[in-house]
Amino acid sequence: MEHRIDPWLMLAVVGILGASLMTLHTVSRVVGSNLLLRQLLWGLIGLVVLWLMSLVRLDIYERLAPIFYGFGLVTLVVVLFVGEARGGNKAWIAIGPVTIQPSEFARLATILLAAAWLAHRGGRNLRVSDVMTAVAIVAVPVLLIVFEPDLGVGLTYLPVLTGVLVLGGLPRWVWIMLILLTVLGVHATWQYVLKPYQKDRVLTIFEPERDPFGAGYQVRQSKIAVGSGGSGGQGLGRGSQSQLRFLPAQHTDFAFAVWAEATGFVGGSVLLLAYALLLSRIAKVALTTDSRHGLILAVLIGAWLVFQVVVNLGMVLGWLPTTGVTLPLFSYGGSSLISTCAALGVVQSVWRHRLVNQ
Amino acid sequence: MIVVELREDIGPLRRRTAFLFLLVFAALGLLHLRLVDLQLVHGAEWRDLAENNRLRRLPLPGPRGWIYDRRGKVLAENVPSWELLLFPDEAENLNATGLFLARAGVTDAPTFNDRIAERRIGRMAPLVVGEDLSWNQVAAIRSHQSDYPELTVVSRFRRHYPYGILTSHIVGHLQPVSRGAVEADPTLEPDTMVGATGIEVAEDSFISGRAGERWVMVSAVGRQLGVVSEVAPRAGHDVGLTLDVGLQKAAAAALGDQSGAVVALDPRSGAVRVLYSAPSFDPRVFGGRLSRSDWQALQEDPLHPLQNRCLQGVYPPGSTIKPFLALGGLAEGMIDPNETVYCNGSVVLYGHRFRCWRRGGHGFVNLERSLAESCDVYFYLLGQRLGIDGMAKWLHRFGFGERTGIDLSFEASGLIGTPEWSHQVRGTPWYPGEAVSVSIGQGPVLATTIQLARAFAFLASRGESVTPHMVAEPSGTTAFEKIDPDHLTLIINALTEVVHGPSGTARRFASLPMAGKTGTAQVVRLQEGVVADDLAPELRHHAWFVGWAPLDEPSLVVSVIVEHGGDGGSTAAPVAAQVIQAHLGQPASHPDAQSTPPPIRTPDNPQGAG
Repeated sequence: MEHRIDPWLMLAVVGILGASLMTLHTVSRVVGSNLLLRQLLWGLIGLVVLWLMSLVRLDIYERLAPIFYGFGLVTLVVVLFVGEARGGNKAWIAIGPVTIQPSEFARLATILLAAAWLAHRGGRNLRVSDVMTAVAIVAVPVLLIVFEPDLGVGLTYLPVLTGVLVLGGLPRWVWIMLILLTVLGVHATWQYVLKPYQKDRVLTIFEPERDPFGAGYQVRQSKIAVGSGGSGGQGLGRGSQSQLRFLPAQHTDFAFAVWAEATGFVGGSVLLLAYALLLSRIAKVALTTDSRHGLILAVLIGAWLVFQVVVNLGMVLGWLPTTGVTLPLFSYGGSSLISTCAALGVVQSVWRHRLVNQ
Repeated sequence: MIVVELREDIGPLRRRTAFLFLLVFAALGLLHLRLVDLQLVHGAEWRDLAENNRLRRLPLPGPRGWIYDRRGKVLAENVPSWELLLFPDEAENLNATGLFLARAGVTDAPTFNDRIAERRIGRMAPLVVGEDLSWNQVAAIRSHQSDYPELTVVSRFRRHYPYGILTSHIVGHLQPVSRGAVEADPTLEPDTMVGATGIEVAEDSFISGRAGERWVMVSAVGRQLGVVSEVAPRAGHDVGLTLDVGLQKAAAAALGDQSGAVVALDPRSGAVRVLYSAPSFDPRVFGGRLSRSDWQALQEDPLHPLQNRCLQGVYPPGSTIKPFLALGGLAEGMIDPNETVYCNGSVVLYGHRFRCWRRGGHGFVNLERSLAESCDVYFYLLGQRLGIDGMAKWLHRFGFGERTGIDLSFEASGLIGTPEWSHQVRGTPWYPGEAVSVSIGQGPVLATTIQLARAFAFLASRGESVTPHMVAEPSGTTAFEKIDPDHLTLIINALTEVVHGPSGTARRFASLPMAGKTGTAQVVRLQEGVVADDLAPELRHHAWFVGWAPLDEPSLVVSVIVEHGGDGGSTAAPVAAQVIQAHLGQPASHPDAQSTPPPIRTPDNPQGAG
């Protein structure tokens, strides 16, 4: 038997989309382009996609996963050759009037493949060869994305791997090893991989006055915007930080700061509650399904979304470096919005088929 | 059995899931605490910071191109200058600011208030409230910077014209861009200086640079903290003119304090070498955006120094149009060059007695003598034969009554009166006697100095017409129709006799290899028994001389009018002679080389080489 789509999850999605559209409307004047209409169109398409994806049975996702994954890798290769560059990232493919960001969609394909593989595997703990497989599934698309180079989107694949490892289960000593390796890896990345401007961003987190007009500028302006919202906010379209263009990337990375400046603590809390509702409904799906595959899907998608929420808000609120990770369902961008809706559609498929034995 | 297996399989997964989501809600809780900290606990402090957060947009004017004469002498340049900018939105009390600036001697209260009143809303642009500040003024403002954070001293450029009064009519001056132009063109900055007259306006789109902008962050006391972003301005292109400042100086010296105009051009190309209108004005009067009092004085000056007499001054051409009427008579077969007319000092036509300028008469005169000695009776009779329509037709052929098309604005077209014109424009009947006056360049016929220069260039070059120009030859102007070369030779010989003949009207200058025609244009009709020299200065005749040099291969045509100068041969011809002397004293140059402007310094070619 099938169940209805979860109304609470839909409430959270529509609520976040509504707040996003209000924010984008006030930002359109600053950015000088009508973001509202386009995002509204993407949002409607996204809701339809969500509904369609929820109709598909889980065994079909299992069967299609390798095909999706293969197709995702192909598009990631193609974008390296024919991609359009924006702000240094060659991450977009133009098809007629729309531009598509394949790295946003390839993530869902990666989740589908990782979940199918893990569900099929069974057993208590992961063996070394299993870990290698899991790392390979995630690392191939990430490497292709790093070539673009789009660090922000590449990062959002990491919680998928973490989710796989946690769910698959590792002996305690492996966790300790992993943590050690991570520390070494971070050190190596700092020494050999990060570009100076990226190091700057990290350093200014700990020392915001280091460079008030360079890397620290954005974070500082964002904190001023959020803070000056106070309890009730300055009113939509009246936030001085956003309207006077102090705030960078208002429609994408720092969209939450615009909202928090305009609506204050009340609006900020409401939006945070909406995300908490969304994630708790995903948790509900994961904890009530009888399907091992369904549980894994819900957890991996939840891990990805919560990672983006935490990293983006951590940046806007001045805790984490600016990485270009957007706020799901809230930041402007069609590819991100539709791929998020598609992923939620998969979660809803798990919900609707939760008592179907697989 | 199957169900039990599933339960065993999914149990650990559910425990791990629950653990993961606990972490998630802990993270969201922390973020919410951060929101509490930023917005509720420290909200007021951040709000203060937001209010002190000031971004300023500083327009960076694009430097205008320089202007050179044909020998590379600088006619217009940019020199560094301190300007004072006001950001009116940031001021607490604009009246106090105005008082402070008045005390510092930067501006006066009415000017300041005018600037505020005409401030442009809608663009984040500061107002220029002080220009060309002295070091003392800059120091005074800087020392009070914290009291008046809305003021900023910036280093910019000011237009400077090294030859000042000598070239002000040609080079022109700048004026602040009009409000309408700013509203129509979003790339224009308010307070930009744009060309108002002369080459500055004619070549404005070429000379003017493109403005850039700089966003700076300033503290609450107006201290600049850093540059947020910058778009660099782009410099305009330089312009080389055909003008020869050396000859221009000679013309100015020759005119002295007389009012008048001198135009000289190369008859081979139309390149204008001299364009001097006296009295002239000091372009510094227009240097800025603020002061208007000097300008008022200039406008009210009875001598009209702002008028460019070379292009805008219309005068009766007097005898200087006789060569062109003679060409018409020859072409129409109405005169035989050897046929003579007896001049006894006057002739009666239409019941009026028309006098020759020489009371005693010239006796028997043929065409050559009639031009060399400027016999009026000969031309009264020619004019009667040609009729007013015939004269108008031939004068039009040589460019009278039409603009020459020189690449400077505000050119006048002059006038050739005809019966139709009389009915339609003047609204009075046409008297046949007026046609008789026209035949000696009097009455309803008016010409500009540059028209005569162009017409004489046609003679000097033996039938090649040119369009006068300062920068590049304009396209689209029509050439004069071809004339029988034999007729031209006759006229050229006659005009050579004017200078070199035994009784020519300009025989004083026979030492110079020049030819030309004198002219004396009456301002008022002489009463019986009054001698012209006894007239009041403002009623005296206008003196003309138009000619060329050297005789073989002429390279300069000079057209001179001296207002109320009296006799053409004695006041205008000496001016032309001095310009020609200066010209002939210079090293000769090839006509092609002369018409090419000097190498132009452009942003792509900073040295101006090649």
